[in-house]
Amino acid sequence: MRVSYSKIGGLRMTLNIAVCIKPVPDSRYYNKIIIDPKTKCVNRDEIETVINAMDKNAVEAAIKLKEKNGGKITIFSMAPDNAVKNLRKVLAMGADEAYLCSDKALGGSDTLVTSYVLAKAIQKTGNYDVIILGNQSEDGGTAQVPSQLGEWLNIPHFVNVKSLELEVNKIVAETKTENGSIKFKVRLPALFGVIKDINEPRIPNVMGVLKAKNKPLTIFRATDLDLDEGKIGLKGSPTQVGEIFSPDMKRKSQKIEGAIDEIAEKIIEVIKRAGIGL
Amino acid sequence: MFEFFNEDQKMLRNVIREFVEQEVAPNAAKWDAENTCPVELWPKLGEMGLLGIFVSQQYGGAGLGITERAIVLEEVARHSAGLALAMMTHDLGVAAIYNFGTEVQKKTYLPNLIAGKTVGGLSVTEATGGSDIRNQATTIKKIENGYILNGRKIFITNSHIANVNVITGTSGINEKGRKVLSAILVPPETEGLSAGRKENKLGLRGSVTGDVILKNAKVTSDCLIGQEGKGSNIALHTIGHFGRSGMSAIALGILRGCVEESVKFSSERIIYGKPLSKLPAIQDIIAENEIDYEAAHAMLYNATTVYDRDGLAINRIAATKYFCTEAAVRSAKRTMDLMGGWGVMDEYPVGRFLRDSLASLPSGGTSNIMKVIVAGSVINSYK
Amino acid sequence: MDGYRGILVYCEIKSGKVIENSLELLGEALRLKEKLKHRPEVSALLIGENVQQYIDTVQGYGAEKIITFENDKLKLYRPDYYSEVLTKIIQKYKPEIVLTGATLQGEEIGPCTAKKLNTGMAAHCVEFKVLSDDTFVQVVPAFGGKVLGDIICPNFRPQMASVKAGLMKKAEYNKNNKAVIENYCDEIVGFGDKIEIMEITETSRERKILNKSDLIVGGGFGIGNKNVWRKLETLANALGGAVGCTRPALDEKWTEFEETMIGTSGVAVSPKIYLDIGVSGATQHTCGIKDSGIIISVNKDENAPIFEVSDYKVVEDGEKIIDALMLVTFQKCTFED
Repeated sequence: MRVSYSKIGGLRMTLNIAVCIKPVPDSRYYNKIIIDPKTKCVNRDEIETVINAMDKNAVEAAIKLKEKNGGKITIFSMAPDNAVKNLRKVLAMGADEAYLCSDKALGGSDTLVTSYVLAKAIQKTGNYDVIILGNQSEDGGTAQVPSQLGEWLNIPHFVNVKSLELEVNKIVAETKTENGSIKFKVRLPALFGVIKDINEPRIPNVMGVLKAKNKPLTIFRATDLDLDEGKIGLKGSPTQVGEIFSPDMKRKSQKIEGAIDEIAEKIIEVIKRAGIGL
Repeated sequence: MFEFFNEDQKMLRNVIREFVEQEVAPNAAKWDAENTCPVELWPKLGEMGLLGIFVSQQYGGAGLGITERAIVLEEVARHSAGLALAMMTHDLGVAAIYNFGTEVQKKTYLPNLIAGKTVGGLSVTEATGGSDIRNQATTIKKIENGYILNGRKIFITNSHIANVNVITGTSGINEKGRKVLSAILVPPETEGLSAGRKENKLGLRGSVTGDVILKNAKVTSDCLIGQEGKGSNIALHTIGHFGRSGMSAIALGILRGCVEESVKFSSERIIYGKPLSKLPAIQDIIAENEIDYEAAHAMLYNATTVYDRDGLAINRIAATKYFCTEAAVRSAKRTMDLMGGWGVMDEYPVGRFLRDSLASLPSGGTSNIMKVIVAGSVINSYK
Repeated sequence: MDGYRGILVYCEIKSGKVIENSLELLGEALRLKEKLKHRPEVSALLIGENVQQYIDTVQGYGAEKIITFENDKLKLYRPDYYSEVLTKIIQKYKPEIVLTGATLQGEEIGPCTAKKLNTGMAAHCVEFKVLSDDTFVQVVPAFGGKVLGDIICPNFRPQMASVKAGLMKKAEYNKNNKAVIENYCDEIVGFGDKIEIMEITETSRERKILNKSDLIVGGGFGIGNKNVWRKLETLANALGGAVGCTRPALDEKWTEFEETMIGTSGVAVSPKIYLDIGVSGATQHTCGIKDSGIIISVNKDENAPIFEVSDYKVVEDGEKIIDALMLVTFQKCTFED
């Protein structure tokens, strides 16, 4: 964070902001997803990827902070090489620079490893005042990376954030709870996992698209990041994936039968399994 | 399909499509039903950079070409051909000023037109001359320090919303005794310029079309665009490149709409126990839709790329306009056939596609005139 | 691995009581205990300012050991303080499995603690399994629930997992249970004064907006009349979801909200769950729901076209199902606020 004097506004803090994004399969094509039962890998290469919806909220939150206070937005992502096109779109939205951590050795990483790699990339490239992520991704949805990244960087971190306001060198963050919200004031540097409630992400405009190709986009391989080999990829991930069920995404019209109350219970079961809190 | 878009053009299409799905698609049917032009969208269109995209950056544009402009119009027209027509017409005013105006005129008017703060228009057609463009009754008389205009223009899109109007009229007679035209920029708030009757169009509703009336409208001499007597060149260049490529792009949007709607409907509708798309007769329709779209797409973007490279492509674009608009009519009718009873119900946009495509035929010149241009050029080239 | 024994359940406190989610996890922990050959002890952790008052509840629902950590810094929830406590307790007691609710709090302190302990965590598990070799398996959903995967954590301890409310079963309350109680009140550091709690607000439930809802209940012509429609609206409310309708239902004026019409001339929705009742499944409607996660359809007509695009098919009278769902919702589901 740099402090400068502006003739009009007096003391101004310019922020160094980092945003982490994840490309995910476009949910409109979920029915094209095939999971290899042996390698447990998703055929991601064949599916169009888009920027995870909540990450767009994160980018928008960063742009709003930059518009109000000045500064720079750097994007980080751990993904395969073809994520370059997703990063260009984020640069078109208004970010300034992007780093892609891409390496075969990173395949199969769980959230602990993903946050480790992102932390290394962030630490390598600068001192950031604010780090923003989408709370969770559409495909895995664990909502774990923000908290774990905050821990790797050893800075205060919050998730389920629905608003961010900068006050000199602190941020007031409002987090959503089951029946309301809590407002925290936190001294920077700090990390926030934001939810959709926070804003409406902008669509890049024509000038943004044209400027995007001239903004710096660097690809980091595993060796560039000084990563502990034993801590990355499938090997370094404490959690491993075993069997996968229902790889067939077609709607099967499974009949739910029985007495009326049994049917109702089964319906509620399906609803809960989809992650809806009742 | 044209396969040689660069990375910027691909990303542009992607973000424009997102914008259209959010702001245009949900409202297209309403604008058509109510016959209104959403002029309140102009600032947003300006912010997105969708107006005057071919104007260079020093005047606030993106410095791209009519290829990118065609991408914009195709994407908008996929859902609202009417709005696309209004945007296209706005761009005609922009193009006339950009290609033929003085430095002062460009600096004064282009930035606001591109930002969507003012709405542009181009008024050429009259009751006495549409295809016969030189036979205009509107007069442009030189007076002290300026010009005075009198006349009535018809079938002018953006008639009731444009505040920066480029108007053509007769300013004299040449040595052959034929009328000579000039082009005048009529600034916002000029007294004597008003909109007259509003037309109730068959299609391309989502834009407003009507009469533009000039009654002793006075402008200063710096409002002349280009040179005196060069008005028809300006009109033909603007309409011939920007107007007709614009109409082709609008037709292309409709064509794509027909392909998508015909595939979607025939995949979901079950008859005789199977999706409609299993029937050979239906596949025939879908194939013809797709082939028309493929051909129109390749023809248009090839033509726009030539213009962006060379600065000239009147004949090519005339041929393109003829093909694309006629193909859109065929495709829309075919798609309605495919949908049976549902095709004529408001529930689906295909009826609107048919009306929009029919309305696009005479806009920028009738199909017959396009063929006159093409025949003239090819006969000439073999001499 | 070495020396890690026991199952620890973090018992979250909200609005003056231990949340149902945590009690359900105690029940599940007891079930896991029976499945694992070495029958690990089930402990509960209570964190807060004065938590002695919750001991009876947690004891009654099966905790064999209750660990309390009290400190006035813990009066209000702060992620850094709470995760520090959870970490300290795990380091002291070395449980092989740690379970938390997949609540907003659990989603924050769970992964944070997992990182502090350099171990693995599986989020939003829908089921736990124990294999014949005693491997603890956590089943998690992906791609909106269409895919389920088994997660294992073979080489790191503890194995942490979070579960949403309502998926597991509480044990029978037994007032005669006797647990071993161990109390702590050590100093906590966290991020100190870098974080301040400014304000806590509680709001009542607002009407759900269609395109922001994870669950939508759609009603069609088969609903039959306005009274049953009202029931459907109440059901949607109870499930915390929004209401959508088809064109015929709108035309019948059972609902006035035109903007809730789903279909070609209405809106398209993509919630996690689309539960439709009395909807025939005309393409004009179904094209508006095809991006939904899971579609559950209820219709009296076995051959209704809606079933062609459904994940689950229920051939029953819509009103009966609505009534039964209301009953289950009020009985079994928990209202934490």
